[in-house]
Formats: sequence, structure tokens, C-alpha cells
Amino acid sequence: MNNRMVLWMKHNIFLECILGIYAVIFFSYPKIGIQAIYNSGYYIKEMLMIMPVIFILTALLDSFVPKEMILRTLGKEAKLKGVFFSFLLGSISAGPIYAAFPICTMLHKKGATIRNLIIIISSWAVVKIPMLINEAKFLGLKFMLVRWGLTILSILLFSFLAGLIVKDDDLPREKEEQKIGVTINRTACMGCTVCTKKYPELFEMDGKKARVKEVKEVEMERLLETISSCPVKAIDNAVSSIQNTTVYIDQ
Amino acid sequence: MDIFTLAVWILTGGLLLFFFQKDKRRTKDALKKAFFMGKGMAASIFAVIFAIGLLLAILPPATIASFIGKQNETLAMIAAAGFGTITLIPAFIAFPLIGTLRSAGVGIMPSVAFLTTLTMVGVVTFPLEKREFGRKFAITRNLLSFVFALVIAFVMGVVL
Repeated sequence: MNNRMVLWMKHNIFLECILGIYAVIFFSYPKIGIQAIYNSGYYIKEMLMIMPVIFILTALLDSFVPKEMILRTLGKEAKLKGVFFSFLLGSISAGPIYAAFPICTMLHKKGATIRNLIIIISSWAVVKIPMLINEAKFLGLKFMLVRWGLTILSILLFSFLAGLIVKDDDLPREKEEQKIGVTINRTACMGCTVCTKKYPELFEMDGKKARVKEVKEVEMERLLETISSCPVKAIDNAVSSIQNTTVYIDQ
Repeated sequence: MDIFTLAVWILTGGLLLFFFQKDKRRTKDALKKAFFMGKGMAASIFAVIFAIGLLLAILPPATIASFIGKQNETLAMIAAAGFGTITLIPAFIAFPLIGTLRSAGVGIMPSVAFLTTLTMVGVVTFPLEKREFGRKFAITRNLLSFVFALVIAFVMGVVL
């Protein structure tokens, strides 16, 4: 428990710094301190009103849209259908932009074009459906629609350009770490057994926490699916280990 | 509650009911996922909000707006895009923040430039992207995204 405290403190240095600054400000300029609390209150109120639904909506989209089908199509086909599915995959998926990276690597191996990879990553970053509603709320429907339209046009254009500049050979070849890089963050794991049910060949229960079995080969697709279904995002695939240092999840 | 927020709550409620009927366990899993997504981010979200609250207390939106208003508009746009590139603010806090600044009089070009680079271009995620896709891919994607963020901002400034 004590250990957990220390870990939490380590991961939230930014919050502690801010609270420290508040203490100093309140001591020396109480007026500014009160104004700051008042300002923060407004944003907290706004956040609490919209954030729970955004999370629920994102999780629902992520769990119920048949991604396997999209992934299969993307692997084979490149043309217009591929472009459309790339946008679709990016817009419905949950998680920060770097969560798209391992999926894109996998798709590239299966034959997806550079152009489609760029589309997936970019739309993953900006074209989030729940976020669009949020944008319309604070900046107006017209603002959101125009920005959204322009963004999609831009992505179409610059993904095409990127496809001309970057060739398939520019991407690194197979990496070994993908086979051995699976770890479980045991402080985050809450023992829900989702992973051991989804991928029993790789995960097993060790008391109340999950553990990675020693295996030679990992089926990337199943692994990624299992990672995304972990409710606490406790499974790390080496490439996503930055998660502990990157504090925010940009939707 | 405004109409947008209300609409999202109703829509989400409806979807939840629909999916719950269809697949109880998966819906529960999704809810769990949503809860832990929120829990995992809570500390950083509060930190960012308090930081913004403090910043706006020291530099009121009107002051920021008049400062930006005095600058060359193109330069302000590029600076805002640069700011969006290096900062990490969750999008759902960025929207109300930009909303505040907009109503205080900050122009449309810097606002859009900031919003677009915030999510699409990443200094923090760059090393990861480079490792995964190679240097050429990462540089090309981030540079093109930055340039097009400026284009989007410029066009929006002209259109709206």
C-alpha cells in the first residue's frame, strides 16, 4: 500500500507541483489564489458534465464496432475502400495517439499502404466523434463542422503526399521486442481475468493478478485485441511502455 | 445543461440500454473500461485544470486577447501552432479553454492552429513514433501535419 502511494506520487509530480504553487500563491497573493480557484471551478464543472459520457461513448464504440472486419479489409485492399476504412478505424478507436502505433505496424505487415497508416494515425488524433460534440458545444456548430471538413480534406491530401515521400522500405523491419515485450503492470491490474479468458495461451492468473506466460510466439492480432479489452490498460506491449511517462490521454 | 451536453447524455443512455439488451457482459466491460479510463486520467486532468485556472488568474483572458491582438496575425498563428505542438492538454479541456479565449477576443486563426497541432503533432510522442515507423515516416507525418494545421487555421480565418 505504501509502495503504491510512492508510485502514485511519482506519476503525479505535475499535480503536486501545481498544488505547491497554489500554496505559495495563497500565502502571498490571496486574491489571485481565489480567482484561480474560481477559474478552475468553471472548468471542473464543465469537465464533469461532459467527460463521463465521452468516456462511456468512446468505450462503447471501441467495444462494439466490429474492428476485426475493418482490420481484415485494410490488410488486403488499398483503394478507396481502404481510405474509408482507415478513417473509420481512426475515428472510432479509443485511446491516445500512440495506441494507434502498434496497430498500424501490424497493418503495415499485412499490406496496408503508408497512406492508410497516416490516415489512421491522423484521424485517430483529431476525428473523434465524441470530441466533435464537445467542440460544437464550446466553439459552435459551424466552427466544428468547418474545422472537421477541412481536417478531413487535409488528411486526405497530406497522406497522399506522405505516401509519395515515404516508401515501404523506410519503415523498420520486424522487431524482436514484439515477441517478448509483453508485460503486466501489476499495480494497475485488478484481476478481472478478461485477458486470461481472451488469450489463455499467453496470460494466466497468479493469485489476484494476471501474469504473462513464457511463450515463443505471439499472435499480434489477438494480443492487441486483448490489450485493448483490458479495462485498466495494464498490459504493456513494450512499444506502449511510454504510457507511464506520458500523463495525458489525448482523445 | 446546454442542448449539446443533454443530447450526448440522452444518446449515450439510449446506446447503453440498446447494447445492454444485446450483450450484457460486453456492455459491462465497456463501462468498466470507461470508468478506469477516467480514473487513470483524473489526476492529470485536475492538474491541468488547476494550472489553467492559475494561469488565467495571473493573465486574464482579456489581457491575453489584447496581447495576441497586437501581434502580427500570421506570427500569432505560428506561435499558437508551436504552442500546441509542445503542450499536452486533453482535448476536452482545450475546447472550453479556447472557448473562453475566443469570447475574450482571441482571433480564429491562432485558436484553430493551437487546437489542431495539439492533437495531431506531438513532440512527446515523437521518439515512440520514430522507433515504430522510422525517422523518415515520423518526420514526414509531423511536418506535414504542422503545415496543414496552419493551412486549416488560415482557411478558417478567411471563411469564418
